[in-house]
Amino acid sequence: MASHGVRRFKPVEKTPEERQQELQKIEDYRSLEHLVSDKVAEHDYSSDTLTKISELLNRNPEYYTIWNYRRQVMRHHFSEAADTANEDTIQPILSLIKNDLMFLIPLLRSFPKCYWIWNYRMWLLDEARRMLPLPEAHQIWQEEFALVGKMLTLDSRNFHGWGYRRVVVETLKQLGSLDEATGITQKEFEYAKKMIGANLSNFSAWHYRTKLIQRLLDEQSATDNERRKMLDDELSLIHQALIDPYDQSVWFYHQNLLCVFDPTVADRTMAPNLSTSERLQYLRQEIDNVQEILDGAEDCKYIYQALIECTVLVSKVTGHLSPEDRDQILSWLSELKQLDSLREQRWLDFERTL
Amino acid sequence: MALVSGPGRAGGSSLEQELHTSKHVAYIKNLNTRKEELEYWLTEHLRLNGVYWGLTALHLLGSPDALPRDETIDFVLSCQKENGGFGAAPGHDAHMLYTVSAVQILVMIDAVDELDKRGLGGKQKVGSFIASLQNREDGSFMGDEWGETDTRFLYGAFNALSLLGLMDLVDVPKAVAYVQSCENLDGAYGLFPGAESHSGQVFTCIGALSIAGRLDLVNKDRLGAWLSERQIDKGGFNGRPEKLPDSCYTWWVGSSLAMIDRLHWIDGKKLAGFVLQCQDPEGGGLADRPGNMVDVYHTHFGIAGLSLLGVDGLQEIDPVYCLPKSVIARALGK
Repeated sequence: MASHGVRRFKPVEKTPEERQQELQKIEDYRSLEHLVSDKVAEHDYSSDTLTKISELLNRNPEYYTIWNYRRQVMRHHFSEAADTANEDTIQPILSLIKNDLMFLIPLLRSFPKCYWIWNYRMWLLDEARRMLPLPEAHQIWQEEFALVGKMLTLDSRNFHGWGYRRVVVETLKQLGSLDEATGITQKEFEYAKKMIGANLSNFSAWHYRTKLIQRLLDEQSATDNERRKMLDDELSLIHQALIDPYDQSVWFYHQNLLCVFDPTVADRTMAPNLSTSERLQYLRQEIDNVQEILDGAEDCKYIYQALIECTVLVSKVTGHLSPEDRDQILSWLSELKQLDSLREQRWLDFERTL
Repeated sequence: MALVSGPGRAGGSSLEQELHTSKHVAYIKNLNTRKEELEYWLTEHLRLNGVYWGLTALHLLGSPDALPRDETIDFVLSCQKENGGFGAAPGHDAHMLYTVSAVQILVMIDAVDELDKRGLGGKQKVGSFIASLQNREDGSFMGDEWGETDTRFLYGAFNALSLLGLMDLVDVPKAVAYVQSCENLDGAYGLFPGAESHSGQVFTCIGALSIAGRLDLVNKDRLGAWLSERQIDKGGFNGRPEKLPDSCYTWWVGSSLAMIDRLHWIDGKKLAGFVLQCQDPEGGGLADRPGNMVDVYHTHFGIAGLSLLGVDGLQEIDPVYCLPKSVIARALGK
């Protein structure tokens, strides 16, 4: 269906043998499909059926109905295991879950963007949490954490990978003690830092960092002073990262940081309680800092955008736009219209608001 | 009926500026005749989406009758399950994604009344299936009974229910609040609260707010800025910062910009040029990028994007519903 990034090739006429082979493959696939559907329709939830389901999913992991069949069969096996198990022997359920988690690994490696595999895995882990005693459930989710790390090493922007990591982290926090929970946030903060260090363009990691900082400060019931300290650290980090000013990801993080000084959204940021004079002081300092970056990178549109953003924020904080600031903005804007012709109309619209 | 599988290739010289209308019509019609290819069977889980993609593209290309209407209705109804929802193909489980496609197809060919004549329990039953997937605590929607939650499903529910005139079956204010909780500081939206902004998710969130009549909640300048930065030098849109361009984002980004009245913030000519280069001028169809394999998904969203940009020879598309404007005018009296 949706083929992404597959180079075109000239379709070649198939030989009669190749055609025959393809028809044979279709027949094999369809008979396996029918076998599985028939068995599930007959409520045959045996291990044999599970094997056939695995075979079918290995051939076509996008076939969502078959994943649903697998859930039905697994639920049946769980309840059988629960009937035989007593308090001391959770082993049967544990090994059912572990085996099933193992089954998914090669599929996730081959199809890391397939929604259905991730969904199924999530369901299975929730089943573990539902059925197993806390230490065993905790252990299973802990092991999951290692897998998520590996997946993100293979593709550091994988949308599913990051979303999944968040769920695993949240669950581990719920399963562990309060101290453990704060420890996890701190570790995740370090992880996001490591990922950014490996590749500054990784906006997924920058985004995660934004979320983690607020979480960390909230969990530590940080004071306004501690929050300001964090803000200072982040500003100095971003100034280092802006050594390459042509990277959009870094500028979006910069823009996120600037929200701290925007009275209309500050309450959603890491330092919501800055005073008006503090905000202005920071913004003026930031305009100076960004202007320094301009030296030698006069063709970089993001710098002008940031300068305009900071100056507009000054006017938002003070309640009016001074004539000097207005002139400054207009001169940056004229550069921007030249450099960023794709978005010329956006800049003209903006100009009209001044 | 299947319009999903099938290879092809995007030729695309950099000078390509012509829309190969008849080739695309032929490509889509031909997709249903590939039963001797394994790919045809491996993509059965997308059949109903495929019909929606292909049929919408045909409408936009000015060939709404290229697929037989009766056969289309028969196929759609054959995908309905006892619970009122639709699966991807006969025998497949019901899911939000296919239920929305079913409703969109029936609306497009003016056959919603067939649900009452021949469907299982009429349109009310379809609406109940969709409404049963809302989480009444937080307003979000699941894809099916197994619980995956995603703003895609919330948009799909709003799309289908509003077309059926059944919005009163769900808690709209709660759903709207959920969408708002997915907004990030960059003005764009993610898959769930706290998730990174993504163009596809922006479309679903803005589309849902638009249907709910709550676009007033959107920071249009901020979101418009983020969306306009999706255009890269070659003219195409990417889905997130520092990613490759892809013709399908012409739709996700373009329609979102249109819904917030900011489509003029990007270079439409360059964008259209990029999409036209994604065509296969010989075999028809569009690919994700110039020179790549074509498929019906990119064919549909590429053409829908071109329609949005006002390219000559295409019917106008509605940015909220991703259906021809004439269809929405008939269905909603707009």
